Amino acid sequence: MNQWLASQGVKEHGAVLSIPKLWELSQHWYQDRISSDYRGRKPEEVEMIFKEAGLTSEYWQVK
Amino acid sequence: MDENLVWKIRAFIYLYFAETARSPLVEETASHFGMTGEEIASAYDDLHRRHALFLAPGTHNIQMAWPFSNAETPFKVHANDKTYFANCAWDSFGIPVALQADAQIEAVCAQSGDPIHLTVRGGQIEGSDALVHFLVPFRNWYDDLPFT
Repeated sequence: MNQWLASQGVKEHGAVLSIPKLWELSQHWYQDRISSDYRGRKPEEVEMIFKEAGLTSEYWQVK
Repeated sequence: MDENLVWKIRAFIYLYFAETARSPLVEETASHFGMTGEEIASAYDDLHRRHALFLAPGTHNIQMAWPFSNAETPFKVHANDKTYFANCAWDSFGIPVALQADAQIEAVCAQSGDPIHLTVRGGQIEGSDALVHFLVPFRNWYDDLPFT
């Protein structure tokens, strides 16, 4: 991954997730998206979703 | 416009996407609600400002209503006898989650160019040990959404 990023001229590493971890995050993020009750998310709700998925690095900071 | 009505319009857009795999035109949404095109365009602008959807620049055409994409992308999701397009790898997972449906996901590895096939069945995903790279930090995602 690092070699490929360097070959693309990418200096910031960003974040890398495995398929199972991204699937877990998707469950939290998208499970209510089609609901008629959905009203968007507050920053603290986004923080909670990332925290529940174990994503606490600088990359996932909301503010 | 009344905020509840704006969110009802948003809910209609999502159901329309789920049922047709494309976004509704302003005229189609106006017809559904018995409103004018100008009123619906105003609601679309409001939802765009709230990051509830993304309008193609300079238009009132919905380009993204996450996880759905109105444009063809390398991320295809086959579910409910339809083919949906996702905005990115994450959104290709989001479509079966949002639809609560089994799905086949097709993508292309950005590094090797090889096709990637994933299966969603019974709420589980299987089929690849690929990694997904996110470049832009979350707090900057909305600075340039198509790039993100």
